Amino acid sequence: MESAADYWKPYEPTAAAPWNRRRAVHLHRRAGFAATWAELERDLAGNPQDAVTRLIAGQARIDAVPGDFEALAKMLTDAATASQLDRRLKAAWVFRMLFSPDPLGERLTLLWHNHFATSNLKVQNLKFIDAQNDVLRRHGRAPFGELLAAAVHSPAMLVWLDADKNVSAHPNENLGRELMELFTLGIGNYTEADVQQAARALTGWKVVADQFRFRGERHDGGEKTILGQTAKFDGDGLLALLIEQPATARRVAWRLCRMMLGEPLIDDAAIDALAESLKKHDLNIGGAVEIVLRSERFFAAENIAATIAAPPQYVIGTVRALECFVPPPSTLLLAGWMTRMGQDLFYPPNVGGWSEGKAWLASGAIVARANFLTALVEGRLAQSGAARDFGPLIQRHCGEVNLAQSVEWLAELAFGGLPQSITHGVEREAASRGKDGASALSSAILLLFSRPEAHLA
Amino acid sequence: MITRRQLLKRSLLVSLSPVVPAFLTRTAGAAETDKDGRVLVVIQLDGGNDGLNTVVPYRDENYARLRPKLKLPQDRLIKLNDELALHASMKAAGELFEHGRLTIVQGVGYPNPNRSHFRSMAIWHTARLDEAEHGQYGWLGRALDTQAATRTGPHAVYSSLGSVPLALWGRRSATIEVKSKDELALDSPVELLQAATSTTDECSQLARRVSVECGDAFATCERLAPILAGQMAPGEDDGPTRLAAHLSIISALIKAGTTARVYYAAQRGYDTHASQTYEHARLLREFAGAVKTFLDDLAASGLADRVLVLAFSEFGRRAAENASEGTDHGAAAPVFIAGPNLASPIIGPAPNLSQLKDGDVEMAVDFRQVYATILRQWLGVPPAEVLGAAFDELALFRA
Repeated sequence: MESAADYWKPYEPTAAAPWNRRRAVHLHRRAGFAATWAELERDLAGNPQDAVTRLIAGQARIDAVPGDFEALAKMLTDAATASQLDRRLKAAWVFRMLFSPDPLGERLTLLWHNHFATSNLKVQNLKFIDAQNDVLRRHGRAPFGELLAAAVHSPAMLVWLDADKNVSAHPNENLGRELMELFTLGIGNYTEADVQQAARALTGWKVVADQFRFRGERHDGGEKTILGQTAKFDGDGLLALLIEQPATARRVAWRLCRMMLGEPLIDDAAIDALAESLKKHDLNIGGAVEIVLRSERFFAAENIAATIAAPPQYVIGTVRALECFVPPPSTLLLAGWMTRMGQDLFYPPNVGGWSEGKAWLASGAIVARANFLTALVEGRLAQSGAARDFGPLIQRHCGEVNLAQSVEWLAELAFGGLPQSITHGVEREAASRGKDGASALSSAILLLFSRPEAHLA
Repeated sequence: MITRRQLLKRSLLVSLSPVVPAFLTRTAGAAETDKDGRVLVVIQLDGGNDGLNTVVPYRDENYARLRPKLKLPQDRLIKLNDELALHASMKAAGELFEHGRLTIVQGVGYPNPNRSHFRSMAIWHTARLDEAEHGQYGWLGRALDTQAATRTGPHAVYSSLGSVPLALWGRRSATIEVKSKDELALDSPVELLQAATSTTDECSQLARRVSVECGDAFATCERLAPILAGQMAPGEDDGPTRLAAHLSIISALIKAGTTARVYYAAQRGYDTHASQTYEHARLLREFAGAVKTFLDDLAASGLADRVLVLAFSEFGRRAAENASEGTDHGAAAPVFIAGPNLASPIIGPAPNLSQLKDGDVEMAVDFRQVYATILRQWLGVPPAEVLGAAFDELALFRA
């Protein structure tokens, strides 16, 4: 077998696979929320590994990162939980996606939100939900064991999976089962007996005064045999046992591969290779992400535009690439559009999370994407309500240019270029619709950003 | 409310629109001739419905023993016969039962029950016990596949939160989603959006696939939006519960004579591990009320004879309550079938609570028997092809 190091050999530009705009666009679309023109230009002036370094270090964004970002984000979040309005908490997360210096961090937070999918539908407590979101962000790059422990000890999870209803006299299997099936091993790697024994190990976990507490009197201190090992397991002992399992490393590897690789590139070899390096490094998530992002495979032609963009990627990516910062779009409305596109933040459809991939492109979701774009262009997402004028954006980056040149530039910005037969078609269609330059440009943006490529990442 | 004649006229005008294929609705004339086409509406009770507190063996002393806290007060139950009663909040279902419009099939399950929501739901969705066969096609998708070559699609409509359930995945049949009526109103001209989906050989295979999805979605909503707008009176969205709202969309689509033969809705929240009494009552009230309203609405349009409703859950719950005044994942449970021409109100024996298997009610009827019956006797599809094996059919309909 190829070693993990060989499998994830770092990318170096070659004549066949040059460091060009298409690859720079790919890096940001796949691992962040697309890039602005200035960010692409900076990356292209340097080498690809430095571009990856910036993304990992949370320094990839040039445009529209407020200096006091953390303070602003915290203020919005606190106000949202105090208001008891879930739409404000969703908006506060959208604010982070839109303006955080660390887009990769937000993508990983989204990924773990899907892995530890917890819905406020049942939890009904925005403080818990927010605290869990913070945990997923803070430990999003940590060794998986730390993330797992923090996530399953979070009051939101304990309520969601009835952990504090699980007592020695009557074990409640909910947390034990999902812990094995969804969070660590994956189905097929444990038995029903393991689930029942795991539930016993998890007895005594409780939410007291909004915090995790272990209550010894509710705990079943007897011996349990789990995955063939017999001991007086408690909850933390169970987590330690699960973290050691090769199946857990594979499941984490699978999760990370799904974010960074197109479907055809995800096979047993890729998962095994990533699982191998995860095991070598204490299941360090950040390290595994870095290995893949730096690799030749990540920058391979067949990995470009090979995944379906999730709603946050589509919404935030469009807003950022088009620099719709002044006036800023309403984060409340952006969150609402994500819901209509099928991703209602903090309300995953079930404990298994969102299906992702092709499932993002249900007919209703496609209509929502088109209508979102129309609303953005018509200015209905900002308070002023005036149609957005994209003239200044073009002027800023290209100077005085005609419609054809604008279309070419926009295609470069969004996709790293499109075939001329396409851009010519877009120009003709936009020219025939626009009464004046501004409306032709708006039509061109509608045409380009609702193209099939716009739904890929 | 516009009349059916006006609606058909409008549908006809819509179908003449040059940019969209004759995609969703047949022409007005065809809708008239096909008005006796039969339709199946599936309602998925998500999370594992507590069958024992839905169809209650109220005389069985074991019931009171297993459910010291959760047992339902006898005097309020809706008695169906000497041994069984419906939960008190299912008054609407009781009325359907009284008028012969509801059949309860008891103890429906499958051998070696699986207690994972996903695995058990996948079993119900695919009608396959073997996990290796869970990735691809669902029982309804396969059933619709048998007709896809000769019938225009879409063949099924999904109207609820979340993504299209595995049950509807087919190789050739197509399912669309309609979750709310304004979801299908495009805010930009459809010609512009269709132009944006154009691809050439230079585009990747994935981009071309997405292009087809987009084109279909735009064409669908272009045709459907006026139909939905015409069918639903203003303000209708405010009143009904979520399930009722989804069923009203389905009702509108059936009245409009869409091509779909299968409609699917889901009601969430049945995973009642703790403090379930109030929540379970609310869920059952919503369910029973929505089904009755839906069937009455169709009956008023003279369509009740065309529509059969099947409601199922991925499993029942343990016979014994847990210590949290809830119930954990179990096995066999009742299935509801509502519609015309039903032969008997109750099929299958009452659960035997003195002989539990691993703490669960034992299966009396294999769910694939229910499927086989509906496939052949209602949809006219040979069941063995869909289910991969032959199953004894139930005496569901009057001869």
